[in-house]
Amino acid sequence: MRRLSAGVAAVALLTLTATACGSSDSGSSGKSSDGTTAVKVGVIPIVDVAPIYLGEKQGFYKKHGLDLTLESGQGGAAIVPGVASGQFQFGFSNTTSLLIAQSQNVPVRAVANGVTSTGKENADVGGVVVKGDSPIKSAKDLAGKKVAVNTLKNIGDTSVRESVRKDGGDPEKVQFVELAFDQMPAALQAGQVDAAWVVEPSLAVVKGQGGRVVASNFVDVSPDLTIALYFTSDKLAQQDPELVKKFADATRESLAYANNHPDEVREILSTYTKIPQKTLDAMTLPSWPEEPNRASIERLGELGQKDGLFEKAPDLDKLLP
Amino acid sequence: MTRTAVKTGTPGGARRPGPGNALLGLAGLGGFLALVEALPRLGLVSPDYLPPTSTIAAALAREVSDVAFWTALGDTLTGWALGLLIATVAGIAAGVLITVVPYLREATASTVEFLRPIPSVALIPLAVLLFGTDLRSTLLLVVYAAFWQVLVQVLYGVQDLDPVAEETARSYGLGTWARIRHVLWPTALPYVMTGVRLAAAVALVLAITAELIIGTPGLGSRIAVAQTSHAVPDMYALVAVTGLIGVLINLGARAVERRSLAWHQSVRGEVTP
Repeated sequence: MRRLSAGVAAVALLTLTATACGSSDSGSSGKSSDGTTAVKVGVIPIVDVAPIYLGEKQGFYKKHGLDLTLESGQGGAAIVPGVASGQFQFGFSNTTSLLIAQSQNVPVRAVANGVTSTGKENADVGGVVVKGDSPIKSAKDLAGKKVAVNTLKNIGDTSVRESVRKDGGDPEKVQFVELAFDQMPAALQAGQVDAAWVVEPSLAVVKGQGGRVVASNFVDVSPDLTIALYFTSDKLAQQDPELVKKFADATRESLAYANNHPDEVREILSTYTKIPQKTLDAMTLPSWPEEPNRASIERLGELGQKDGLFEKAPDLDKLLP
Repeated sequence: MTRTAVKTGTPGGARRPGPGNALLGLAGLGGFLALVEALPRLGLVSPDYLPPTSTIAAALAREVSDVAFWTALGDTLTGWALGLLIATVAGIAAGVLITVVPYLREATASTVEFLRPIPSVALIPLAVLLFGTDLRSTLLLVVYAAFWQVLVQVLYGVQDLDPVAEETARSYGLGTWARIRHVLWPTALPYVMTGVRLAAAVALVLAITAELIIGTPGLGSRIAVAQTSHAVPDMYALVAVTGLIGVLINLGARAVERRSLAWHQSVRGEVTP
């Protein structure tokens, strides 16, 4: 979820360059001798993508005729441009970033649900946290305070503003600062920021240091907020709808499996992240329904528009599967 | 691009570090490690963000017993070596060509001066678009940064050519190839070696940077994963490994330099100072 807006900006600027260079292998995917199609998926090594790792291990993708390669990029910076230019057939990105991309006519579209908030107040995968002894008691107290988010003008600040708004505070008065999730616990302890929007595993780390959750910003946007989605390029979706369908079907199966096997999720996390066991056990796992929640995405779009993230409203019919 | 101190070797001979120097060096390192052990234990910094040396050492032991660590190390070294090789060959070939062919130097000077200051990391978006998170992305950054180090030294080296020696070779009827081989190359070699040594260090910096930021496989991406996972001791352990590789690369480059320039006065030393 890091640096996604930077990625989107890079796409907007450089899609032209890629087209001009005649980037060769866009969309086309090699069929191997055993009848499976090789697909590359750009993911971020975070908790949210556990189902695709798990589904690969369980053989769901193989069953649908896909030979999956997971390319783990650092943050979305590599993923959105990678998918748009055809380096990856599919990618994983947070919903707001895709809404921004759609409103800027970046040729990408969602193909499957990625990850969804648990929808439980104070027991979600993300939240606004403060130090244990902070005077901030609830979201409305954040007005006038310094709040860290991983990326400005993205899902973090727009959802935190909604929390403040709902709690009766002035969302315009919150000062947002950009900081990587993993640096937030230290910044909070050192008093560089008054509050921070963190997601797992940083959330578990802050809680372990005695921090308090003052707002569940995902829940305040929508009861079951679709936080991220798997997506592909328009080009591939038109050229090979069958491949997209195979990927979507296998992903749906993987999401359902992950939802029903939390222990295996924690286990697979230790293979592609280095989250220490103690944090792994303390973490809240997200929810992985098979379908994205359209109403929640609409709400996120409205909030983004209110905050000026898009010049024109994103077209959900074009974006969503 | 990060190091500017250029040292081609001092006349009078490079003094080899004696056993006293080695001891002092080890004492310095030991002191540093003891300091890192003490700071968090004394509560001056939080052990959550700077764990004591012993904890980092334990994480390092964990790392080296993991196959994935060695794969990552191999990936990093592959990117470094391949990038350095391409940059060196291209740098030498381009440098010699530019200086030997009349007018080419004037024709390329402004282009070189325009391209050379572009920081390699500024090419990250381009690398991502062209190659995704492939090894080729690392290579693009490494080759771009290392190439200029070599090229510029080659240009300087060739410029240093003694006109008398050149004219003598000509009057003895040596052809172009023979003159490159026997006059130009020995003159330029000390410069080339400096360029390669600098390029070797820069190539490592860029290889790790590419892995860290783009996520191409290697130690850099492993550091990034440790960082986002809050595995702080592992992160420091991996950083220490990259530092160690840097030291080894520098020692290796110096050894190669000494050997290939054994005949040169900067290494051989003067008989009468």
